[in-house]
Amino acid sequence: MKHIGRAQTSLTNRQLAAGKGVFVSDIQRHDMTHMAVVRSPHASARIVSIDSAAAEAIPGVVKVVTGQEIKANMNPIFEAYDTEAMGAKGVVSYALCPERVRYVGEAVAAVVAEDKYTARKAADLVAVEYETTPIVSNTKAALEPGSPLVEPDWGDNILITRDFVKGDPDKAFADAEMTSSDEVYQHRYTGAALEPRAYMAEYDPYTEQLTYWASTQNPHPVRVFLAETLGIEESSIRVIQPHVGGGFGLKTPTFQEEPLVAYLARSLERPVKFVSERTEDLLVGGHAREMRLSYDVAFTKDGRITGFRAKVVADVGAPSALCGWGMSFVCAYSIPGCYKIENANVKLFSVVTNKCPWNAYRGYGKETASYLMDRVLDDVAAKTGRDRAEVRLKNFIPPDEFPYTQVSGANLDSGNYPGTLKRVLEMIDYEGFPARQEEARREGRYIGLGIGQELTPEGCSMPRSTLLGGYDGATVRVNPSGQVTVLTGITSPGNGNETAIAQIAADSLGVPFDQIKVIQGDTDICPYGLGNYSSRSVIMGGSAVQIAAKDIRDKMLKVAAKMLEVSADEVEVEEGQFSAKGAPARYVLFKDVASTVYRDCHGVAALEVEPGLESTRYFQHGNVYHQPETQGRFSAYPSWPNQSMAMIIEIDPETGHFDILKYCAVHDSGTVVNPLLAEANLHGGFLQGVGGAAHEHLVYDDDCQLLTTTFMDYTCPTAMEVPFFEVEHQETLSPFTPLGTKGVGESGVAGALSGLCSAIENALPHLDLRFTDLPLSPNAVWNAIHEAEEKRT
Amino acid sequence: MKKSIEVTVNGKSQSVEVDTRMVLADMLRENLRLTGTHIGCGTGSCGACTVMLDGRTVKSCSVLAADADGRSVQTVEGLSTSAVSLHPVQEAMVENQGLQCGYCTPGMVLSAVELLNKNPDPTEDEIRHGIAGNLCRCTGYHFVVTSIQAAAKSMKEGA
Amino acid sequence: MISQEFDFEAPSALPEALALLARHGDDATLLSGGMSLMPMTTLGLVQPGMIISLNHIAELDYVREDGNELRIGALTRHADVAADPLIGAHAALLAEAASLIGDVQVRNRGTIGGSIAHADPAANYLPAMLALGARLRLQSEAGERSVEAKDFVKGIMTTAIETGEMLTEIAIPKLAAGTGCSYQRLVRVEGNFAIVIAAAITEPGRKAARVGLGNVAPGPVLVDVSGHLGNGLDDAALAAIGDAAFDAAAEAASDLAGDANYRREMARVFARRAVQSATDAADAG
Repeated sequence: MKHIGRAQTSLTNRQLAAGKGVFVSDIQRHDMTHMAVVRSPHASARIVSIDSAAAEAIPGVVKVVTGQEIKANMNPIFEAYDTEAMGAKGVVSYALCPERVRYVGEAVAAVVAEDKYTARKAADLVAVEYETTPIVSNTKAALEPGSPLVEPDWGDNILITRDFVKGDPDKAFADAEMTSSDEVYQHRYTGAALEPRAYMAEYDPYTEQLTYWASTQNPHPVRVFLAETLGIEESSIRVIQPHVGGGFGLKTPTFQEEPLVAYLARSLERPVKFVSERTEDLLVGGHAREMRLSYDVAFTKDGRITGFRAKVVADVGAPSALCGWGMSFVCAYSIPGCYKIENANVKLFSVVTNKCPWNAYRGYGKETASYLMDRVLDDVAAKTGRDRAEVRLKNFIPPDEFPYTQVSGANLDSGNYPGTLKRVLEMIDYEGFPARQEEARREGRYIGLGIGQELTPEGCSMPRSTLLGGYDGATVRVNPSGQVTVLTGITSPGNGNETAIAQIAADSLGVPFDQIKVIQGDTDICPYGLGNYSSRSVIMGGSAVQIAAKDIRDKMLKVAAKMLEVSADEVEVEEGQFSAKGAPARYVLFKDVASTVYRDCHGVAALEVEPGLESTRYFQHGNVYHQPETQGRFSAYPSWPNQSMAMIIEIDPETGHFDILKYCAVHDSGTVVNPLLAEANLHGGFLQGVGGAAHEHLVYDDDCQLLTTTFMDYTCPTAMEVPFFEVEHQETLSPFTPLGTKGVGESGVAGALSGLCSAIENALPHLDLRFTDLPLSPNAVWNAIHEAEEKRT
Repeated sequence: MKKSIEVTVNGKSQSVEVDTRMVLADMLRENLRLTGTHIGCGTGSCGACTVMLDGRTVKSCSVLAADADGRSVQTVEGLSTSAVSLHPVQEAMVENQGLQCGYCTPGMVLSAVELLNKNPDPTEDEIRHGIAGNLCRCTGYHFVVTSIQAAAKSMKEGA
Repeated sequence: MISQEFDFEAPSALPEALALLARHGDDATLLSGGMSLMPMTTLGLVQPGMIISLNHIAELDYVREDGNELRIGALTRHADVAADPLIGAHAALLAEAASLIGDVQVRNRGTIGGSIAHADPAANYLPAMLALGARLRLQSEAGERSVEAKDFVKGIMTTAIETGEMLTEIAIPKLAAGTGCSYQRLVRVEGNFAIVIAAAITEPGRKAARVGLGNVAPGPVLVDVSGHLGNGLDDAALAAIGDAAFDAAAEAASDLAGDANYRREMARVFARRAVQSATDAADAG
């Protein structure tokens, strides 16, 4: 293997660095119109009437559309999950709300105009009369008897519950040497990709084809969802994904505007473009994370956990067709993570409120599970007076016990958790840190070291879901000149997986890297596939490429053998050359073999093979179990990468402000196809982890009005808030992928959550701090320090 | 309200009719089809729309197009002459993986160019300060900073 | 995106601008760097009927010496304030304040006059203006007047500027050689508005010291701490300075960056640090 494992810069770098990428908002079409959305100012209300006369009177307005028209002409938005198969409650929602609104920003009408200024101005003139209805503003209120209901026909505000049990937790607690309990809170935040959502549709009435450009991660599923929601044939839609300016899960379908743009383009027979403003994206572009987790833990005096109970209460916002609510499920499903606990109970309550619906966001609930477990392990360490690392090492699932079935039924494929933790502690000089800390203290500085341990299951496959499936497809095509085109169902929202795909294809076929061209993101060209999420691109898409490439390689080996006058098993291929094993001077060029197949199909060498050098194959991931078991258990994730992180911070106790001085990580996602891009992905994860832990927060008031609707209030970290990152890879192969790969894309977002809590605690040991609420804003940290100081005096 | 302005963009003098509501970023993108200037927030916070106005970086979402009358603007498109001869900062970004999705990149590149014009040998901290007005959500800034360090080195060697 | 139409004028000379302002009164909004006005207009928080851009009035972009004063044209960009040698030599506190505004792009575009006239409680210049004893020149078609910085802010984003008037110049008494300055601030993330600002000056020989506080009240607050300089700024003196700042911040408000109590406590910390550092600098001569 020459290319797998090689650090290779991304194939898209040059075009993008030159500013020559093409994003949806860059595309202009002849006779194009612009759509602006009228959004609800209320979190819960009935729509009494809509008066669009003033808007329609503005020159340049093409059409005003309301929810009544949508309901009469379109189906409800097709759900990303099959909620019935999940045992969850589903919701009927439309591209525009016909009768009622359930969160601020929900779309109630839209204006199409000749230019975007007119569209926006007219949208502001659409007069909607509302009758406000009671608001469900948080999970506590939502769960109270007699609470108003977000969905009146549900009977309660609970979307899904789960109750996972392993062993005998009651007995474990009855027999416990020591116990502790606490509650931790993970606040609401989001991915905030720098490119806001954007969609454009164009309809050709002569061919009855709809062309749809989307800033999406999932072109083929988008096509299904559009067809189902519009009630038209899937084959009449072509979805094209141009460059995507970051996704992080938030650009998985289906938002209200997606089918709306398609509907309007069809009914107007003119191109319709929608580009979201940042404020709209923060308001309705998908939220994530808000969960409260309580736990009881039983353990021995030396820190071995013998029993565990956790309860996850998630505020998933209003229910929608999006797949976001599943993050609450996956959080509960992933607990207790890396740890072997024989007696455990994990309960889940996914609660709906009148806030923005969740959409998938990097981490998908696993980060909150990791955050919880890190806080639990730090608690056990503190209560037993043991070292934090020692307690983790004592409770890790041992490397020789994989595959390991976790409490939820999740089947962990492989792992070496002590390996990553021990190595990261070496990198950060864990042993030497107390001396360093002491020295800093003498200079009047307070530094602290934190540990974050991540387990990030990948390759999500949910039963009967159109979006979340454990397979993907690829086509490998060698043209008569010997160059290779690879077409995939997976896509790259800017993370470089096309480059890893090319590396896999080059090695699998035995051709030079620069002979591979990868095409993604076009439903008329690429094989069916589910796109990008759950770090599936290399494990699913890369594996499909490998299988398809093997078909071609086997066929070409036969032809090359004839040309070399040896038997096929005596031929090998590398870097564009077929040669007889052990006799490299006896070779034929890859391109000559390709030429022979295409140009000489009745000749001696190619006579016995089927003409053409093209194969489309699908990879189905092993280690997924959808057969129902008791308690609704099933195994939805085949691949379980993990990471240990350690960081050093310096805190200013007078202000609560901290700086990150050092950030180390050892990541294990099995075989690393491209260490450079894997590391680049991790860097982005670290940033979003730090952002989530300390800086980013979607704040609602009691009326469920979002207060953080600009980047002035929703404060993303800049280059000043993070240091250089030090990353190493450990490779514990997955037994379930041909190359031993696991996913990489979501790793890194969790470690900072508890890691920074424990680093601050560690910096000020005399205060006996314990952080259980995020984010770690200077104000919040100062409050904790101040309270502890008051207590001491 | 429409207004006619004269503006030099990437060295070329242009007459453009703009709506007074139009910001410079939109004029560049929509009237002149220079779509390398991206809009990430519209409120001057993210820096994706960074261009040079009279030789200094500004956020073009926060400058009215009409106000660019008589001014000189340089966009990312003005930095390179062809696909094979990018600006050293861009080459460094390509070689050092100083980007991922590419949405913030043109603005980031212009900020780096301005920094290196003023300070050819910046420290890590000076680089981080220099790009603090450019948000990136993909890279964690690590390879952006190392790219700018590499660019500084290659520009010094090239000078 | 700005969806509401407005008229736009970009005069190239001050009299022309003042005439436009006289004609259009409160319907007109002045635009200079636009670092606040543009986002506010984009977000629909303000809907100007007319925008008069000052960006083409080159005569408002200057820094010059005038006897014992520095005179700074309202259109001077933050980056130029930060880098100006006269300001560096005679009003270093101001240069420091300018260098910490927003980010490079904001400093390249934003203007000192625009920032001061907008009078955001969290903006950088006003606490320094107070500590420096600046005077602000307000001109209209009818004439001009001068307002002390301490009398300039009337409430949150409300100033002494009357209809038809424009801030055209900032006059700053030169600091005596050996004056110590320190500008300290707390931010959530780089480039964001400050949670608290403390801009301190200690005169040579510790003759006097004062600290301007920002974002702890609707407008900037000046605290005279000369009485605490005493011998060597001991813990008691620093505590007293902190207490004075805490008391001066009684009107601090709560927002997403910090609650009122935190702001007051940070006023205490940052005033102390700024005065300490300014005094150290003065002592060092």
